[in-house]
Amino acid sequence: MNELLVKLSECIEFGKINMASPYPPQMKGQEGADEITRRALEEGVPPQDILTNGLMPGMERIGVKFRENKVFVPQVLMSAKAMSTAMLHLKPHFLSGAAKQKGTFIIGTVLGDLHDIGKNLVGMMVEGNGYKVIDLGTDVGSEKFIEAVKQNPEAVVGLSALLTTTMVSMEKITKEIKDALPGTLVTIGGAPVNNDFCTKIGADNYSPDPQGVVEYLNSKIA
Amino acid sequence: MIHTVSYSFSELTLDRNYLSAMLGFPDGVLPEPFDQYVAEAIQEAESLCEIRGAFCFPEKSEFIAKNSCISVDGIEFGIGKTVAKELRNSTSVALFICTAGEGISRRSRELLAGKNPVLGYILDTLGSMIVETATDQLQKEIMRIALSQGFSITNRYSPGYCKWSVGDQHKLFSFFPPNCCGISLTDSALMHPIKSVSGMIGLGKEVKFREYTCDLCSQVECFHKNYMKRSGIQSAV
Ligand code: B12
Repeated sequence: MNELLVKLSECIEFGKINMASPYPPQMKGQEGADEITRRALEEGVPPQDILTNGLMPGMERIGVKFRENKVFVPQVLMSAKAMSTAMLHLKPHFLSGAAKQKGTFIIGTVLGDLHDIGKNLVGMMVEGNGYKVIDLGTDVGSEKFIEAVKQNPEAVVGLSALLTTTMVSMEKITKEIKDALPGTLVTIGGAPVNNDFCTKIGADNYSPDPQGVVEYLNSKIA
Repeated sequence: MIHTVSYSFSELTLDRNYLSAMLGFPDGVLPEPFDQYVAEAIQEAESLCEIRGAFCFPEKSEFIAKNSCISVDGIEFGIGKTVAKELRNSTSVALFICTAGEGISRRSRELLAGKNPVLGYILDTLGSMIVETATDQLQKEIMRIALSQGFSITNRYSPGYCKWSVGDQHKLFSFFPPNCCGISLTDSALMHPIKSVSGMIGLGKEVKFREYTCDLCSQVECFHKNYMKRSGIQSAV
């Protein structure tokens, strides 16, 4: 495989944003995701290859390490930043259709809840694994989710809640999405949520961590 | 009577090793460049925080419903068996709320969505630690008052932990004037600013404060539990 893409995947895995970035210490002074993506495009590597064989494997590796407690949120955020820097170069190619994302994921924190760090982390990881992510923010009610699915009919919906009181809202939103748009897949997460609750409210999947939802999406969409 | 306190950032003794543990790094050793980010976050936090708290000593409290509820000035808190057991020997309680203010979350959100997500995340975590540390101070203030009247205090317990419903925050807030310390409560029992905590402390001649309370909690993976273990604090009572 293209040497550049191997390097790019390492930049994502280890969070090397650009040449100037001092992180990670062992890659100081080397090119980062920014320069390598630009160079790959200049050398004619197809944008789709850059996404699929460069960025995504790196993001997947960091996601697995996070799940296994080998790295922590700050390192994941470094990887996500490297990823989003590379994506800036690829954006025009997504718009022109030269590169395609795997599918669309709509995420939001449910009505009554304002927690967003966990949700943001999930959004970043899903995006890094090749999906278009529409982040509806916090305190989001059914109408907003339903509207977003109408505009993106194949999208999967992710709901986040951090309080037991707002889990009630999760139940209501899941039901209303399913009533309005049968067949829409809903996946849920957040500290107080678990598998039993997922089954009880008729959601399709519960994942304790971002990598779990990536695997779920890969099994359903990709 | 409502007692209020406010603290400046420099009055709080922040345990950097604990912050590292909260960020995920268990040994208190932060790899480069996260140590610099932490230093930067601490510097920024100084001007971002507005640390305030309030507490009160309701007049009458008694255990009811097979001791899993406590009635405080006629308002019933469903504290659950675990917390009730800890408060068992209390003859009265103190209620408290405390916040680090909105500034730190606002700044953190801005950084997370923009130029510096790592610094944003560290500020968010620091905000959690600030409010917890400020609540430690507030608890000492409650202890000082209790001691002056010949009472000891229990640990603090919060709605939302140990099967005590988070919805009971509405009852707890009814003891404080609206928007006390700038904290408001949503219908879903979420405090605003986010970096806020609320809770109850038992007072009595026979109550004990204990170093280790993790045995009360069923959470399996928890940095706090791991941190306590590593620090050698793990003997119950
Ligand atoms: C730090 C913390 C605090 C801090 C800061 C809170 C904040 N949000 O900023 C402080 C000290 C202020 C605090 C206060 C309170 N807290 Co608190 N807090 C926590 C703690 C320890 C960590 C939360 C966190 O930031 N995690 C880090 C982020 C990155 O993780 P995350 O949001 O969970 O997201 C991850 C996963 O859940 C998942 N995920 C999240 N969303 C989604 C969505 C999808 C689709 C998927 C697939 C995955 C997914 O992926 C993310 C990345 O791994 C949790 C316990 C815990 N271990 O989770 C309790 C916890 C959230 N708190 C809890 C409670 C009860 C409270 C209080 C009500 C207590 C009180 N009475 O004072 C208050 C409420 C504050 C308020 N504003 O109303 C409860 C909530 C459950 C409940 N009973 O309702 C928890 C779960 C603790 C418990 N009881 O076990 N808290």
